[in-house]
Amino acid sequence: MTTFDGTFTYGWLQRFAGSVAATEPELTELDQQAGDGDFGVNLLAGVSFAMTAMAAMTATDRLPDGRLPAARPLQVAATAFLDEVGGTSGPLFGLVLHHLAEAAVHPVLSTPDLARGAAAGLAAVQRVGEAVPGDKTLVDALAPAALALELCAPDTPVDRALLAAAEAAFQGVRSTRLLCARRGRASYLGERASGIPDPGAVGVGLLFSSAAKRLTTLGPLLADTGLGWAEPGAPVPAG
Amino acid sequence: MARYFATSQETLVTDALTGFARVHRGLVAHHAEDGYLHARQRSASRRVGLLSGGGSGHEPMHIGFVGAGMLDAACPGQVFASPHNRQLFKASCAVAGPEGVLHIVKNYTGDRINFGIAAERLAHHGIACARVLVDDDLASDSTEVAVGRRGTAATVLVEKILGAAADRGDSLAQLAGLGARLVARCRSVAVAAAAHTTPATGRAAYLLPPGMIEFGVGIHGERAARSVPQGSLGDLVEQMAEALVAALRPEPAAPVIGLVNGLGAVTSLELYAVADEAVRALEGHGVRVARCLVGNFSTALDTRGFSLSLLVADDEVLGLYDAPVRTPALRWSRPMAMEAVQ
Repeated sequence: MTTFDGTFTYGWLQRFAGSVAATEPELTELDQQAGDGDFGVNLLAGVSFAMTAMAAMTATDRLPDGRLPAARPLQVAATAFLDEVGGTSGPLFGLVLHHLAEAAVHPVLSTPDLARGAAAGLAAVQRVGEAVPGDKTLVDALAPAALALELCAPDTPVDRALLAAAEAAFQGVRSTRLLCARRGRASYLGERASGIPDPGAVGVGLLFSSAAKRLTTLGPLLADTGLGWAEPGAPVPAG
Repeated sequence: MARYFATSQETLVTDALTGFARVHRGLVAHHAEDGYLHARQRSASRRVGLLSGGGSGHEPMHIGFVGAGMLDAACPGQVFASPHNRQLFKASCAVAGPEGVLHIVKNYTGDRINFGIAAERLAHHGIACARVLVDDDLASDSTEVAVGRRGTAATVLVEKILGAAADRGDSLAQLAGLGARLVARCRSVAVAAAAHTTPATGRAAYLLPPGMIEFGVGIHGERAARSVPQGSLGDLVEQMAEALVAALRPEPAAPVIGLVNGLGAVTSLELYAVADEAVRALEGHGVRVARCLVGNFSTALDTRGFSLSLLVADDEVLGLYDAPVRTPALRWSRPMAMEAVQ
């Protein structure tokens, strides 16, 4: 049985970095159509800084018994995103990671901690960016993911809860393609961004789905957007 | 093609900051690594640190107002780009007083988000933080625009007055409250006869038809919603004054502080001629212009234009405005002279 301590969160963030690196061309293409084209590069920069910072963790990041607490990799990655990434979406991911870390009060992560962290992250992102669901931003994926975590029974294993969050997030991603952006760079494009899912929301979907596995293409996830990623019949979300 | 006097476009901002810190080293210290400038002198009675910031290209805003009696720190971004939340966070930590730090933010999405992220981080570190959001631009006052009015030149007046209030020992809540009252009572409007030169291209950001003036430009080279025929300076200033008076509706007895601000490529000779027209136009509307500040304070690179701002004051606010200030761009040690002629 998996133990959801720092080794788990470290692996989760490593897979997230891998998913971002593998899908960066697709993220960039999305943002070229529905934003200002730098989202994929920014997110890739963020996960790269986070990987470097996590690799530099030492014995002082561990508990006296040698275990890595669940919060530590999340906190190190959060600081890297907040301090080192330009633009706005990178630091917003930093806020989400920061609140996930804050809520991980025990060495081993629990589903209620995760739900509390996601809700706090969502609240912080909304305080800062003032977006609500329906504005075609990353909130459209983060809000359903947070809700999915909240709806999990307290004893749900963390990996299963994260899978439910990923599925909810990607449902949110697909809903954004029909929206007209009201916040963020895409809001200046008006109808032209219609039909394109929001790249920030896709990033949130990648974050949660990477708890289970590394994604190598957005194709199956965006198959019904009519953007040329169609892989008919391909299975949807992570796992 | 206009040519920029810069070593390179990439280093223009950092070169300027280095030079600024070199020249004004008695007043400010530059923290290049963390991306902010902070004041060397600070009133002993100040309990709250005052921080502003925003894109470069608006000089002397924001760095020019760091010093005694005004800002404790300023964070410059790249040209017309918001500073990073890390700069704002580090600067806030450095200058926070025992009662925390006040952020003076101009209403632009990038600035709001970056100051907001910094505020979240400060809260996590137990540092109290409040925000004054300046949104004085009349031209962007529309119910159809969800993002609200832009923040422009009246920021200078707000920062000066809040600086004096911080010096007298106001609390964070008092400063935030005073800031909100000031913001509610100030409006600006800007016109331009020619756009700024974009540093990256060396070309004008946009071209105007001959004989036309852009009425209601922003401070990032945003074009106005409408163009008006050039006409006489008196007619132009009267249109601006009328719009401001209609928006603010000052009581006849209320003292009003005026600001005639150059956008970068208008001469002082012209600005004082504008001030002459402006004061006469305002007095024609029954406005009591108690103080008037004239100069280049909130620019938009080399935009050939100017803005007119009004702040409806009272005796307390006038007293705060008159309080001594010593910054690279704004300094006086006694009340400004206009009341002598009232």
